[in-house]
Amino acid sequence: MTTAINVLQALLLILGAPLVTGIVGKIKAAIQRRQGASIWRPYAEIAKLFRKEDLVPPSASWVFRFAPKVLFATAVCAVAFVPVLQPSALLGSRGDFFFLVYLLALGRFFLSLGALDGGSAFGGMGASRDALISTLAEAPFLLGLVAVSIMSAHADIPGIVMWTLQRNVFDISAVHILAFTSLAMVVLAETGRMPVDNPTTHLELTMIHEGMVLEYSGPSLALVEWASAIKLHAMLALLISLFGPWGMASTVSVWGIAAALLLYLAKLTALMILLALVESVVAKLRMYLVPDFLGVASAVSALAVIFTTLVKR
Amino acid sequence: MGLVAIATAKFLGSFSVFLFLTVLLMVVARRISTSVLLFSLQSAIITAEVFAMGVREKLAAAYVVGALVLLIKVIAIPYAFFRLVDRLKSPRDVKASTTPTQSVFIAGAMIYLSYAAVHSFGQTVHVPEDALAAAVALILTGSFLMVSRKKALMQMLGLLVLENGIFLAALITTFGMPLVIEIGIFFDILVGLLLMGIFTFRIRDTFDHLDVSKLRRLRG
Repeated sequence: MTTAINVLQALLLILGAPLVTGIVGKIKAAIQRRQGASIWRPYAEIAKLFRKEDLVPPSASWVFRFAPKVLFATAVCAVAFVPVLQPSALLGSRGDFFFLVYLLALGRFFLSLGALDGGSAFGGMGASRDALISTLAEAPFLLGLVAVSIMSAHADIPGIVMWTLQRNVFDISAVHILAFTSLAMVVLAETGRMPVDNPTTHLELTMIHEGMVLEYSGPSLALVEWASAIKLHAMLALLISLFGPWGMASTVSVWGIAAALLLYLAKLTALMILLALVESVVAKLRMYLVPDFLGVASAVSALAVIFTTLVKR
Repeated sequence: MGLVAIATAKFLGSFSVFLFLTVLLMVVARRISTSVLLFSLQSAIITAEVFAMGVREKLAAAYVVGALVLLIKVIAIPYAFFRLVDRLKSPRDVKASTTPTQSVFIAGAMIYLSYAAVHSFGQTVHVPEDALAAAVALILTGSFLMVSRKKALMQMLGLLVLENGIFLAALITTFGMPLVIEIGIFFDILVGLLLMGIFTFRIRDTFDHLDVSKLRRLRG
């Protein structure tokens, strides 16, 4: 039964991912007083791309074809570590959070390789910028998770979530607030969201993620788009499970799972509204200010680790 | 009723941790208006703490003080600041003399320091440690803001953050000062702000800018 629910929550993260992208787009449109595209558009787009021909530049090697598949595979694999409805996950304690971070890093690495292999100038530019951002985002991502794991004395994510579940909502400590702040900033950088990268543009010379996927078409592009949607959804789910898991079903029962699902959707909606607000209010940073942004995130996460020595457990 | 008591106790203790967040954000804020908004948020958290204290200690005076904090620090002062920024027509950036990352580290060190300073005190006297540490951290970062920002407006804001810290420390250790003194302090702040507002206008009229680091010579 537990395994069945684990499979269910992994499927929820994978299949619900395009919907999350669609809803964030819709909320942003509403904030900008536009009607906006349907929230189901990402599904239609992925389905359409899967039916199209896969065009490969003549100069590209096998790496170009291979990269989207690795990206998608790492994203799906990462999903198996994130608890959603109950404090356990499909691959749960088989790997710790370091594994999760570097799984995502592996996907980014291959996407950069594919972009370089595609041979277009935009691909190389996007890849070099993405390398800079992911290098700088790695430290706060890891340190934020390290802080939370020191607090709970667990290295696997379900263990951390289990520990947090036994706590009271009012028992939040400085460590959790600092770690949440830095991880939220990392989510913006890792998923290519507004202050760091603009997810809606193909035209600006400032594009990072879009520049990298410019040469991809057909099923490969569909995999890349779907993988980045999964990544966004998984990161948001990770934030929810690490910092607000209350309401998860600790014992397996139909009603408990249903309640957990409803609560998860409510928390996810709140996070999506927050994300859309941030994206509408904040202006995109100049490329040379991004290290400052991530420097602040690193400083905050380093503080979170230092604070674990102060806070009573 | 038991639930309310638990909630207020927890609120007084753990919720002051959010004050650290406002301080950290204020230190990295790039624009004056963002800093003012953060100050307003910070004062709102302090207002909530005053009300929580009123509920816990059953003090009627605390509600009056809470209402005063809400009116003056959450609404009136930020509004006055926005008007001032508008009227002065000076550039919007804060002109920090440290980079954001440096500022975060300095603010972080100050928060750590305040925890370390409060730690021994908190065990002998029965006060919520988080809240008292937050108060000391507000005092320290308020002075840091005054030292590291070159705009006269930001120095006013730093002073107000410092004052917030002193207010919070008084609230946590002695359940707030007597009502008459509290009202006196609020008038002090208001008059002080008025004077500083006039003074910034004079600085701008005489020197054509608000950059304090360029005030080197006396001018009539």
